[in-house]
Amino acid sequence: MNSSRSEYSNGIPARSVPKSRQETSSKAPELNAIEGRNWLIHRHFTRKEFGICKILIQEELERTRGKQEFANYIQGLILRHEGKIQESLECFQICHSLHPKNVDYIKQVARSLFLLGLHNLALEAYLDAQQISEVPDWDIFYNLGECWLRLGEHTKAKESLRQAVQLGHHERCYVALASIYKLEGDTQSAIEIYKAAVESAPDSAQLATALGLLYLEEGKYQHALEKLGGALARDPQYAQALLAAGAMMQNHSDYDVALSKYKIAAQSWPESPALWNNVGMCFYGKKKYVASLSCLKRAHYLSPLDWDILFNLGLVHMATQQYASAFHFLSAATNLRPAHAGTFLLVAISLRHLDDPDNASEAFKQASLLAPLDASIPLNYAVFLESQGDLDGAALQLERFQELAQVTPRLSPELVQTATQLSKLLSNRLRSRNGSKTDENEMSSKSKLAIEVEAQVRVRNHPVDSSPEGETPNSMADDEV
Amino acid sequence: MDPVYHALSLYKKRCFEECVSTCTELLDKNPFDQAVWILKMKALTEQLYVDDLEAEEEGIAEAFMDNETIAESARPGTSLKNPGTSQGGSTQGYRPWTQTGRPVSGVVRPGTQTARPGTMEQALRTPRTSKTARPSTSQSARTIRLGTASMLSEPGGPFIQLSRINLGNYASKPALAKPLFLYILYHENNIRHALQLAVLATQACEFKDWWWKVQLGKCYYSLGLMRESEQQFRSALRQHQCVETFLRLGRVYIRLDQPLSALDVCRTGLEYFPKEVTLLTEIARIFEGLNNMMMSVKYYREIVTEDSTNVEAIACIGMHHFYTDQPEMALRFYRRLLQMGLYNAELFNNLGLCCFYAQQYDMTLSCFQHALSLAKDDDVADIWYNIGLIAIGVGDTRLAGQCLRLAISSDSAHAPAYNNLGVLELRKGRLNEARAFFQAAASLAPYLFEPYFNHSALSHKMGDLQASYIVIQKALEAYPNHIPSQELLRALEKHFTVI
Repeated sequence: MNSSRSEYSNGIPARSVPKSRQETSSKAPELNAIEGRNWLIHRHFTRKEFGICKILIQEELERTRGKQEFANYIQGLILRHEGKIQESLECFQICHSLHPKNVDYIKQVARSLFLLGLHNLALEAYLDAQQISEVPDWDIFYNLGECWLRLGEHTKAKESLRQAVQLGHHERCYVALASIYKLEGDTQSAIEIYKAAVESAPDSAQLATALGLLYLEEGKYQHALEKLGGALARDPQYAQALLAAGAMMQNHSDYDVALSKYKIAAQSWPESPALWNNVGMCFYGKKKYVASLSCLKRAHYLSPLDWDILFNLGLVHMATQQYASAFHFLSAATNLRPAHAGTFLLVAISLRHLDDPDNASEAFKQASLLAPLDASIPLNYAVFLESQGDLDGAALQLERFQELAQVTPRLSPELVQTATQLSKLLSNRLRSRNGSKTDENEMSSKSKLAIEVEAQVRVRNHPVDSSPEGETPNSMADDEV
Repeated sequence: MDPVYHALSLYKKRCFEECVSTCTELLDKNPFDQAVWILKMKALTEQLYVDDLEAEEEGIAEAFMDNETIAESARPGTSLKNPGTSQGGSTQGYRPWTQTGRPVSGVVRPGTQTARPGTMEQALRTPRTSKTARPSTSQSARTIRLGTASMLSEPGGPFIQLSRINLGNYASKPALAKPLFLYILYHENNIRHALQLAVLATQACEFKDWWWKVQLGKCYYSLGLMRESEQQFRSALRQHQCVETFLRLGRVYIRLDQPLSALDVCRTGLEYFPKEVTLLTEIARIFEGLNNMMMSVKYYREIVTEDSTNVEAIACIGMHHFYTDQPEMALRFYRRLLQMGLYNAELFNNLGLCCFYAQQYDMTLSCFQHALSLAKDDDVADIWYNIGLIAIGVGDTRLAGQCLRLAISSDSAHAPAYNNLGVLELRKGRLNEARAFFQAAASLAPYLFEPYFNHSALSHKMGDLQASYIVIQKALEAYPNHIPSQELLRALEKHFTVI
């Protein structure tokens, strides 16, 4: 890894532990050098031949009564590789007691503590290591940062990680630092860090994808596309980049290109709910509702607790005018995530089609309560009230829409058009009090698309997968004999 | 009426007990009446006769002390032992796997319950419950029952003293030898004697009778001498082609874990007996064992065109449609089963699930109600589990939690329910409870990858990297192609292998 690596590099201790040398020469001249077989252990270790390695280490430790540093060190590494952290910690502690001035051993002890989840102790150990080490070591700073982060001290973590980044341009440091900024919501700084990271490691598809995703969050589509394209050029099978790039294409209504991206991603990750969700919405964009529904249902099957998918299912069912099914999916979505205004808006519209005006109006109210700044809600409410004959209420909601419309940037032209039509109609009807009904509701569900697309773009990494769905138990016991 | 004629007519009417007692009376009068002796033998055999083709089960002994295996690690798609390796099969992500490490099948039959687990330890740990009737001895449970039946049979000593009988005398008389052989095999369940008789008899008829060869093959098969039995069946098939022989030869190859040869045998059989349902069923089952569902369903479809009331075929096709995103199609097949008169909890459970996924919500709950009212003890847990899934599907997490708890209360070893409860706890933010549930699920069902993955992801988040690292490796053992697990392992390896 660093300073001590040279010492073991070919197993032959060029200038290894002087103390033991003296001992051996003074006491028993026929005794072999204590580190005589280090080269062999090293060789087997680097070939990952852990079985032989362990036997050799056992012999060495028996010969030297457990006083062999290198053997202990390698044993610790092997044990860690096998996941036995507690035992490996003991090995490193022996190493440390044999040679207390070696920074490496302190670092390994600290690392073991970190892996055990004892972040406080690990932090102390790393601080010790930092004091002993003569030259500033990026690794120590990086790990300090990780420990601080786990202990919740973001500022200290950032400081340590910054030093780590300055000392050595390592991918891990950049990623850790950027993740802190992301946690704090400072996307701009995170982007800067990733930019530096991509410069220092231009071959990494992961880094480029992460940067692309951050750009996507910021809404800088051009930059995002560039980075994702770069990532795909390096690793054309990288599922995350493919998904993100596909989602961007989809945002620009370029459904065929998006589908081609998803097709490649599906080969490497056929069970991703996010992927099937996006494919489903692509078909929705192409107005192929049946295909869209079956893709979304597969996504729902794979991840039943995901409200995004339920929301999309509701939306597509609305488009196929199956309002009862749409209502079921949407109500499930509201159960799972009660704070999303868009879902309530859709629930309201589906209820309106199911001839339940009372509940529809409740849902409209709930939606506007949850998102008082969303202009589309009062407009839809106004259309609904108008169809119910409540012209004054409609006029009130229309007024609210117009207020909000002035604040909202980039308002969809469809909404404005609907609003003007509605206001004309309302003024006519208020004048004559008997106008004909208009069929404006199509607009309302279309206008939802704006929110919808945002929802689906997120490339989701499901952290916890919810289990086997639809598990049918052994069905149909047939009777034999 | 002539008492012999009376006994014969009783035999034809399948009143075997009366037939036996009449014969006993006759034999008391004249112990050397060969006809009556044969009739009694046949009646006794018939009482205990089972279709041993369908009663096949592989014990732990066969699975492990198996010296017939050709390759330790077979090529993908050529072995029944690791169905996960075949290309294009269903994966655990879509179609859940059973305790035995293979995808759930449409019907329960002996073959679907015997596991071919990777290690002895795993096999022994698998509990022997009502759901895994896995015999630990080499002889199947059924044949053991036969043996005990013969011991009880008669108060005045056994009908035939096998140790005293001179098999050579009987072997040369074909009319006597065949019923005697069947009697020894099925009633006495004494394979060694049966084999002796068969060897002598086949010598006596100068190896010209195919029937004896088949019986020899059967004996060798139950003694575990696969290669000898293969020889006998092949030789019998050269003389005379018979469906049973094809099936038995196929079974030999399955035992040798050469499913492709078994398929070849069955296909050859189909050339002689086109569209024979038993052969088609055998082929479909082998393909299912290889996790090649497309081919399996193709053959099941052929069966349905021949025999439109074949329960196994209809159920398997329905199950296939359900797990390939076509619940509406599955619904039609299950409805067909209902029309045929099947009326049990499993069927209603499947109907309920199909209705839910086909969005016929009004039917779903009534189907599950039926299922619950019909359910026997070992099904109730599964049904509650599925109702829990429906509750999750409609977003009612409280109801889901209650249903899953009910599932656990009726079967405390229901691993998927523990896992889902863990996921629900996780949603509520109770991490420690969630972890306990995942651990419980994983210890109950090491064949499921979900609890391992969930546990590992959770530990990773909580900072316990050691646990996460160990557990994720188990998840990948259970399901090597799970992409999120692979990614998590890759992330963890950075911590563990960096020096």
